[in-house]
This record gives sequence, C-alpha cells and structure tokens, in this order.
Amino acid sequence: MRLPRTRSVVGAVIAFGASALAWEVFARSGSLPPAITPPVEAIVAAVAQMVRDGTLFVHVGYTLARIGAGLALAALAGVPLGMLMGRVRPVERFVLPLVSVLSPIPSLAWVPLFILWFGLGNTASVALVFYAALFPLVLNTWTGVCAVNRLWIRAAESMGAGPGAIFRHVVLPGALPFVIAGLRQAFARGWIAVVGGEMIAATRWGLGWVIFDSKEFLNTDVMLGSLAVIGLLGLGFERLVFAALERRTVERWGLVQGARP
Amino acid sequence: MLGLMPPKLFPGVDRIVATFWRLIASGVLPAHALGTLARLAVGFALGAVAGVLLGLVMGRSRWAEDVLLPLVSVGNPIPGLAYAPLFVIWFGLGNLPAVLLVGFAAAFPVAVNTWTGVRAVKAIWIRSAVAMGARERQIFRKVVLPGALPAVMTGLRLGLARAWRVLVAVEMLTSVPLGLGWLIFGAREFLATDVMLAGIAVIGLVGLGLEKLVFEPLERLTVVRWGMLAR
Repeated sequence: MRLPRTRSVVGAVIAFGASALAWEVFARSGSLPPAITPPVEAIVAAVAQMVRDGTLFVHVGYTLARIGAGLALAALAGVPLGMLMGRVRPVERFVLPLVSVLSPIPSLAWVPLFILWFGLGNTASVALVFYAALFPLVLNTWTGVCAVNRLWIRAAESMGAGPGAIFRHVVLPGALPFVIAGLRQAFARGWIAVVGGEMIAATRWGLGWVIFDSKEFLNTDVMLGSLAVIGLLGLGFERLVFAALERRTVERWGLVQGARP
Repeated sequence: MLGLMPPKLFPGVDRIVATFWRLIASGVLPAHALGTLARLAVGFALGAVAGVLLGLVMGRSRWAEDVLLPLVSVGNPIPGLAYAPLFVIWFGLGNLPAVLLVGFAAAFPVAVNTWTGVRAVKAIWIRSAVAMGARERQIFRKVVLPGALPAVMTGLRLGLARAWRVLVAVEMLTSVPLGLGWLIFGAREFLATDVMLAGIAVIGLVGLGLEKLVFEPLERLTVVRWGMLAR
C-alpha cells in the first residue's frame, strides 16, 4: 500500500475547504433562498441530528441490506452461470445473446415494471440490484474462465488431475481476478440501482428514499447530507472492502501483482 | 401465457410486438426516442467538454491535480440519480435539470480517464519532442493529445453509458415533455405493461446502437488508425 503523500493530503484539505467556503459564500449571499441552498453548518447539523436520533443508521442499514441481498443473489446465480458458459459450449451459445441484449438496458428502466410485478417495498429494490449486478458478474466470470491459460490445464491433466481437481485448483483460482473485478463492477452498478430504486419503489427507509422524501418538505440540508453519506459509503466500499478482498485472495495467491486502485 | 400469471401484468410476446409496431406506426415511439436522444446529445456534449478540460488541467498541472482530484474521486461514486431531487429543486421540472444532470454524471468518468491518459503519456516522448525543439503548444497538440486519446475514448464511452443510464431514470422524475423514461413511467399509471416493455426494448436497442454504431467506428477512425491501439 502506498502511503498518501502529505502533498495530496494538503491538496485535499485545500480542495474541500475551498469548495465549502465557496458554497458558504454562495449560500449566504442571498441570491437564492436559504431553503434551497443551505449553508454548510445546516448540512452538518442535519446529519448530526440524523445520527443522534439513529435514523441515519436505519437508512444506511436498509440500503446496505438491500444491496447485500441483491448482490448475494446475483453472485449465486451469475458466477455459476458464467462458469458454465466458459466450460460448456451450448450454454454459452444459448446465454450469450440473451445477456448481450439485456445488459445494455439500464436497470432503472425496469423500475416501473418491477413495481407492478413485485409491488412497492423491498422486493422491487432487491430485484433491481439483482438485475443490475447480474450482467457484470456473468460476463466477467465467463471472460475469466475463457482466459485461463490452456497450458495450465494441460499441465494439470498430464499430471493426472481429474476434471473436478482441474476445476477446483486451476480454473477457479485462474478466473478469480476476473470474478472479483466483476464483483466490483456489480457493486458500483448495484449502488446506483439501489439508490434509484429506493427513490421510486421504497416505502419507509433507505438513503435514496430519504432524499426523495426530503424533497417533498424542501429539506435540502437533509438531502445534501444524505448525498454525502452515499458518496462516502460508496467510496469506502470501493477502497476498503474490495481492495482488501483483492489483497486477501488474488494478490496473495500471486495472480496479479499489486493491483492498482 | 399458461394462465399462471395475469396477462395484464405479463403480456405475451405477440402483444408486445404488436404494441411495438402500433407505437412506431403512430409516431409515438419515434417522437419519445428523439426527445430522449436530443437530451442525451446536449447533456453528454456538455459533460464531455467539461470532463476533458478538467482531466487535461488535472493531468498537466500538479497543483490542479492535488486540489481537484479529491473532489472528483468523492463525486465519482455518488450515483448521478441521487442528485435528481436536488436538481429538480434548483432548476425546476422539465428539460433543464435532466440535461444538466446528464452532463454532470457523464463528466466524472471522462475527467478521470482523461487525467489517467495524460499521465500515461511517456515522459520519454515528451523529452524527445523537447529535444527536437518542439514548443509547449506543439508538444500538447502532437504528443500529449494523441497519447492520451485511447484513455479519453474509454472515458467518453463510460461517460456515455452512464449518461444513458441516468437519463432514462431522470426522465421518470422530472416530467419532461417527451422521453422514453417518461413513456415507461406514464404507462404504469394505465397498467399498459405492453407499452412499458416495448419502451424498454427501444431503450436497450438504442443503448446497443450507440455502442456499436457511434463508438466502434469512432475508435477505428482515430485511435486504431493512428496506431495507438492494436485491434
């Protein structure tokens, strides 16, 4: 891990300080009503209030539970499907056209239909995350299985490995960097889907819902505060969880060296 | 189709295809698609220009990089759609917030990739151009720009994909006059699932078309032709 240089830390402080200051000046200039452009301390106070009465944690918990459930289902369905596509020709020929037609459709285009099919609430949001996360997982796993070096498989065969052993000890670790890259992409897409889905389909809790609900009451401070939470959570997951996952598994087995963030 | 599910909610393929043709013949679907594409073009153009400029500045000046990069890397993972309600409050309903949001969402991947591209230009290329007596402007035009182009193209591609995703969703929220997202959202009110599925099919086709018909030829004409990227 590269230590952050002091230069870039100073730069970050200047950047956030300057933009907070610019926002503050703009907000206090009175060119727009303060209900629309709340000053920084109002945003901080709104977040602090949500932390104090605990609602922020409930919103975050619901959002994370929805994306977690959707991602888990997508991984359970997508990774085996991708593996099958990579190993079995007819499956590949049958599934690939379907995937390439469905994958460019933005997941949020399905929201109104999912609401009709699954009703308002958790099921629609989870289904949306599932849809958004499925395709990156399938496509990356498939690419990964196809990219496993033929030589490795032949070498394992000549050393007398059966199909099961080849799959477990050669194909699986060989495809893993791609699966993890797919998981990363799936999370990024699922994160967008869960926030968007909650805006339209959630009924009570969730970070997307709280932004949409605050709009009704013109609580711009809550909206901006929740936006910051969404950004920080997304960045945190990307930098901490997935980077750690990559270090623990792929790098340790020596398959990629020091994957850069 | 087997009668397990109500056909109102799960229309048969024949119904969807029939609706699709009916909507195309009556001009409804093309009008909505054109509205969406026009919005996409304006918004994406704004985002692409802003993103490339931002990326170039970040790549060429250390000072700008130190200050702007933290802002870009925090802004990048926030889903563009999360800003939609705020943009509605700030800019009202209709076309303006939709176009601005599309540009805003598209600018991030473009900026990040342009920045990566400029930094990936080999120092030795620049040094040899300097040694051959090239001036600052010439280095920029003849070395940095073509060198960064493959990454910029990737950024534009990612930016367009993101713009497309955001646009469809934001059309549902800002009640634009004509648009595919609005078509789907409006059709829900009437339980017209066949119209919704026809709209989704058009969205998928347009997305596929943008990728195959716009970007692949563009890449062939520029990056591959200049020998920056083997195909």
